[in-house]
Amino acid sequence: MTEQLSALADNEIKLADAEHLLASMQANSPAAEAWSRYQLIGDVMRGTPTLSPDFKAKLMAKIDSEPTVLSPNASWFKPSLGADNVEAKSGSQSMVWSIAASFAAIFVVGFMVLQAQVGDPSLNASVASVETTTQAIPAEYLMAHQSSAPSSSSYYIQPASYTH
Amino acid sequence: MLFKRLLLAALLTAFTSASQAANNDSWQMLQKAAVAAHALSYQGIFVCQSGQQSKSVEIKHLFNGQHEFARNVVLDGLPREVLSQGGEVVIYNPKNEKIVIEKRRGQNMFPAILPTDLEAIKANYQLKFGETERVADRQAQILVLDAKDNLRYSYKFWVDSEYGLLLKSVMLNGKNEVLDSMAFNQLTLISAVDLDWFKPKIDAKKAYVMEDVNTIADKQEATHWRLKALPEGYVKVDQMMRAVKGKASPVTHLIFSDGLASVSLFIEPLENGIKPRNGRSLVGNTSFYANVAGNLQVTVVGEVPEATVAKIANAVVFVK
Repeated sequence: MTEQLSALADNEIKLADAEHLLASMQANSPAAEAWSRYQLIGDVMRGTPTLSPDFKAKLMAKIDSEPTVLSPNASWFKPSLGADNVEAKSGSQSMVWSIAASFAAIFVVGFMVLQAQVGDPSLNASVASVETTTQAIPAEYLMAHQSSAPSSSSYYIQPASYTH
Repeated sequence: MLFKRLLLAALLTAFTSASQAANNDSWQMLQKAAVAAHALSYQGIFVCQSGQQSKSVEIKHLFNGQHEFARNVVLDGLPREVLSQGGEVVIYNPKNEKIVIEKRRGQNMFPAILPTDLEAIKANYQLKFGETERVADRQAQILVLDAKDNLRYSYKFWVDSEYGLLLKSVMLNGKNEVLDSMAFNQLTLISAVDLDWFKPKIDAKKAYVMEDVNTIADKQEATHWRLKALPEGYVKVDQMMRAVKGKASPVTHLIFSDGLASVSLFIEPLENGIKPRNGRSLVGNTSFYANVAGNLQVTVVGEVPEATVAKIANAVVFVK
């Protein structure tokens, strides 16, 4: 979702196409959080950056086009008139570092979530076999199935697990 | 010798075309039944049976030449009512002290359980004539719709010899056991076109509430999963994002159909601290299968044999 939101910000997807995205985020904020976390895991697993590939380049171009604001402290340390260019350069240099740091932070957080979810060996072990024991069909899935794909008897007969 | 050969060839041709004609006739009769359920006006009582449960339902269906209206009232147990206008279905479902109003898109309400386009069914089932029998005081021709493989159930349809209306339908498993049945025990055609009956019986003592809408259309390309080959004859007919009770994140819900049977596939990320579900079960006509694909919990439910839900679940591939 972060990727899509950033794509949305970069005008890479039309607002109309993102309608469902916004609707789902507005509908339920814990769900939105979980979903964005999920997207993040996907991004990390695919090795694609969370932000769009040219996000950094665009941001840098924007920064370059912005007038450089010199802090009083910096000018106090370098009072000479010819120092303006040097200031501008070191200013954007520190910007690069902070961007790199935030990229790293995103990656670390993503990796931690990934470790917690995917790296758990018990999960991998459970992939191997499906228990053949029969169990009651979980009501939430049965209800969801019947509400979108009702069988002809389900209009009149509800599953026994249905709670009144 | 030549004459004998020619005779044999002629006989074979005659025989093949005769069976072909009978085959076409049976499909024509089924086609007629599919249309008659929408195009005729009728009222009656049918019994719906699924697993251990059975309910009588009063039905009134009207086609006024342009639009279709139907009201179904469950006569046993809670007074559930199902009203439909065209493909729009509204269910008045009593729950505790409330009546919950649920909206559905219905394409398979008895006796209109068959799609009017039978092409998908023709590809996956074989049809033949059975005996004739009397149902709800009407003479009926039995049509046997046999599944071509073990990925779907078979059906038997009793079609009114005069009106072409479906009088009875049963769903059978591979052992020829009845899983589900619907049958009129009383039926009359009607000619009136008034609509004053087309409304729910309102209980003034109860509160009427709309069911929460918990799905949104999902037109997005899937990025974290893809599907390998599906079981033969099943195609995706719908896809949505759904909020499922007890789940933190929305679940991707896909629906597959072979023309008659429907299967739901749910895909969701594994949740931290929640044990992944692995297992399968068969209750009545409904099969259930859950497994894990990479980082995903996969759940499949449908009124199909176990082999079909297992195949659909195993078609999900986690995309890294």
